[in-house]
Amino acid sequence: MPAMLEKERKFFDKNKAKLVAEHVGKFVLVKDSILIGVFNTIEEAISEGARRFGLQSFLVRQVNEAPTPEINIPALTLGILNANSTRPI
Amino acid sequence: MPILHVQYDGQGQSPDGKTVKIPPAAALRQHGPVGIGQLFSDQLLQQGSQLPKPVSGNALIDTGASTTCIDDAVAKTMGIPVIDVVTMASASYASTQQNVYSIQMQIVGSPIRVEVPNATGASLQTQGIVALIGRDYLQHCTLHYNGITGQITLSI
Repeated sequence: MPAMLEKERKFFDKNKAKLVAEHVGKFVLVKDSILIGVFNTIEEAISEGARRFGLQSFLVRQVNEAPTPEINIPALTLGILNANSTRPI
Repeated sequence: MPILHVQYDGQGQSPDGKTVKIPPAAALRQHGPVGIGQLFSDQLLQQGSQLPKPVSGNALIDTGASTTCIDDAVAKTMGIPVIDVVTMASASYASTQQNVYSIQMQIVGSPIRVEVPNATGASLQTQGIVALIGRDYLQHCTLHYNGITGQITLSI
């Protein structure tokens, strides 16, 4: 799958230290390589993104010092979504 | 307020190959709590733009999942914008990058819609589901799992 939001994520990574210093805990809205705004909630950031860009993709991410944690969905990670017991029921 | 109440029923095969009815408790244990769901996004409602057409399908309630997932192909077909990219762990191969979508979910037959602002895209359709309901959704709900009677009730 081609990486989506490449420009936006590069912008976020490049400016992360500054964003952390100024807006830690807030949600940023980024389009291309431009910081559109900083918001208190993810809902506010998404609403503004939808208002400005309609159905185009845009980046909304919380500003944290720690890297974004890896998503772990055990059923998908382990491939056991439809696992059935081999024991008779 | 209950928004989903399911009593499972099912069929299985006896050792001699005959189709037999499985008691609800056994069916629930075998198949897990799957509810019928409807996905849609209405972020653009205020603009008067044409909204992505909702998609209905089965969703799997997964108390082991920290985040809700939507089938990536379904999200793309609906035209829902990507709002982030996250890394998803895998036990069998390298971690993958997955899109993140802002969606709403509605249980068919219930007027209540639950906002999931950051649902992770994943390949789910091959499993016969369009969404996997994780704990970010369930944090708004009470889930009763009655393994003895083979029933689940999801209340909000």
